[in-house]
Amino acid sequence: MFCLETYLKESDDYLIHMSRSGFKDCAEFIEKNSKEVIHVKAGTKIVGARIIGIPPIPIGIDIEKSQIMIPYTKPCYGTAVVEVPVDLVEIKKIKDAAIP
Amino acid sequence: MKKAIILLGCPESPSQTPMAIYVTNELKKKGYKVTVSSTPSAMKLLEVSDPESFYIDEKMDIESCLESIQEGSFDLMVGFVHRDAAVSYFVTFENILNIPSIALISERELEVIEEFTKMIKESTNAEIVSARAYHNPTPLRVKFDKALKNMEKKNVLP
Repeated sequence: MFCLETYLKESDDYLIHMSRSGFKDCAEFIEKNSKEVIHVKAGTKIVGARIIGIPPIPIGIDIEKSQIMIPYTKPCYGTAVVEVPVDLVEIKKIKDAAIP
Repeated sequence: MKKAIILLGCPESPSQTPMAIYVTNELKKKGYKVTVSSTPSAMKLLEVSDPESFYIDEKMDIESCLESIQEGSFDLMVGFVHRDAAVSYFVTFENILNIPSIALISERELEVIEEFTKMIKESTNAEIVSARAYHNPTPLRVKFDKALKNMEKKNVLP
């Protein structure tokens, strides 16, 4: 299973669009800059970790590039917007977890 | 035994550690088994403040706690909120656990308190205790006591 924590530690092909920001600003960035946006509940497991934030939490999806854009929160560092490559199976799982 | 979880935020707020010990003590007196969930740095402050573990019994890293909880894992949650990230953590824990909760919001700026209060009100059913305070824990302590009494009166405290 894909694990975001491990991926961010061990890879360098991800993009950090914003960092040390507020959740609202990060959510707005994802809404404005994603090809497709789905929304999930707080605590939904996305790429191996529970997503943290104020629901409905936006997840950006780019099927062509096989990438997702998510808010990533740490207690002392605020929220970042991270774009990571994931396989299509993982993207399908994320879409299945979307709020209808 | 009833179980309570206390959620700590970033340890930069000076009133958080003394208030965490105070809240733990109050909840233990009411019969709760209390778990404190925090970052390693916030936990260090607690461990130095309570070296013999007179107050703090159960401790858990906030990241692994978040991964392990599910609805009803605890009966009551009290969370410290003095940063935007803490709002996100509090809302996420509350939404997963779906239990009576108290948000303790403290900050220097009134505007920030109002913003955090609005965000939590819109996304949870939590009781909100807020005080314009930073170093001094008294305003938050007094309001926490009042909120706990009110919840008991209303019979919403498990």
